[in-house]
Amino acid sequence: MKVIVDLALCQGHSVCLGEAPEVFEVSEEDDGYPQVRVLLQNPPEALRGKVIKAVKYCPNHVITVLED
Amino acid sequence: MSDAATMAQKSPPKVSGEKPDVGHMEEFGANFARFLMRCNAECGELAEFNMGGQQTVLMSGPAAQEAFLKTLDQKLSRAAAYQATVPVFGKGVIFDAPPDKMKTQLKIQVDALRFQKMKNYSAIISREVEDWVAGWGDEGELDFLDEFLHLTLHTATHCLLGADFRYKLTDEFRDLYHALEKGLQAIAFVDPYMQQPIFEARDKARERLQELIGAIIAERRANTDVEYEDALETFMAGTYADGSFLTDNEITGLVIATIFAGHHTSSGTATWTLTELARQKKYSSEVLQELQVLFGDGALITFESLREIPRLEHFIEEVLRLHPPLILLMRRVIEDIDYNGTLIEAGKTVAISTYGSHRNTDYFPDPECFDPHRPSPDTLFAYIPFGGGPHKCAGNAFAMMQLKAIFAALLPRYEFELVDPDDSYQDDFSAIVLKPNGPCRLRYRRRK
Repeated sequence: MKVIVDLALCQGHSVCLGEAPEVFEVSEEDDGYPQVRVLLQNPPEALRGKVIKAVKYCPNHVITVLED
Repeated sequence: MSDAATMAQKSPPKVSGEKPDVGHMEEFGANFARFLMRCNAECGELAEFNMGGQQTVLMSGPAAQEAFLKTLDQKLSRAAAYQATVPVFGKGVIFDAPPDKMKTQLKIQVDALRFQKMKNYSAIISREVEDWVAGWGDEGELDFLDEFLHLTLHTATHCLLGADFRYKLTDEFRDLYHALEKGLQAIAFVDPYMQQPIFEARDKARERLQELIGAIIAERRANTDVEYEDALETFMAGTYADGSFLTDNEITGLVIATIFAGHHTSSGTATWTLTELARQKKYSSEVLQELQVLFGDGALITFESLREIPRLEHFIEEVLRLHPPLILLMRRVIEDIDYNGTLIEAGKTVAISTYGSHRNTDYFPDPECFDPHRPSPDTLFAYIPFGGGPHKCAGNAFAMMQLKAIFAALLPRYEFELVDPDDSYQDDFSAIVLKPNGPCRLRYRRRK
């Protein structure tokens, strides 16, 4: 699975960080909203459940998972 | 939307029924949600109407709505469209701030709504709900429109300004808040600086509110070792790019803006959710079963336990589809825009209607039917109760969490039924924020 994010939509709510800290971090920006950073572009299968929850509960639908 | 450099020639089609001077104001005022649906039915994707001299183009359908929601402030300005909020939020706050300051203020507002803060808010809301139902007894009847207005003002002030302020919440604060609310009715969108008693009262209230909130700020600045975990703490800690803090005026403005964004929207949605739970028996029993499994053995209502409640979530989402609290979203056109060959000139207003979009039969067949099992549309821009794109409602996760906290606590304990005839519970289109027409009376009885 591959994780992609649409930064134009990210307001830095950090829900993904709460769900899957192995995969996401949120960085402060000089200008505007904090932004999500993907630490593992291709997370291992073991993290699938957490990643799917991050996708589902992201308030702004920023995250998408593509299947290989 | 592309720049109008290639100069599109067409203008948007005009909606029929325009009258001299007032344009479509009368029909709009009678029922703006229905009027906007007529505009779309008659003219299609783009429909131009006249709001007492302000030419306004309604953009309908997911593609046009996506263009509206994704176009940035420099071209489609929220600030210019929402000037009525300036005397309410305050000079130099959000839509009156220079673009870079506005950006930072909105960022600081989101900081207060981040995941890390949400845990404390869940606990606060859960406690407020418990205190509220504590006096209910085994059965009774209440006007829930009124009840939810109180409850959500309590939760909002508690999460924003802390326990101290909340439990000392005075009639004076309620009156001030009410005066600000009155200052934001439809007429304010024509000219918020007219000589009007409601606007004088608004300005006095804004001034006094700043004294009250300024006093808390001063007290906290003198006691920097205390942690409050409310939004005010975040607003006070936030800084601009040059390291300077927000002024008391700006902090007060953010508090007011946050209450305004969340209070009526949440109370109206809560009232509609309870009403639909009372009349959609088939679906509410599914929700009840789910809640009994999740919370039946006395599990606490916390941020974690509230996170995933799929049937309740779908139920609330369907309520938000049929009764979106904010129907009309607006922007002012700053630079001419070419939308697929049609010119929308600078100076016009563009608008989208959540209410109309949620009744688009291409995405929601049999749209007036309440059905929480509807499949989600394959686009993010058909179902838009919180808007979308870069300026999506920053409170959307808070709102859902609060609604889930309320109903996870209420539904397993009490059953509800309508007091008045079913068809008397209708949307009230007279206010800017949609809610049921009041009173919204329901009977409750403790479950065995």
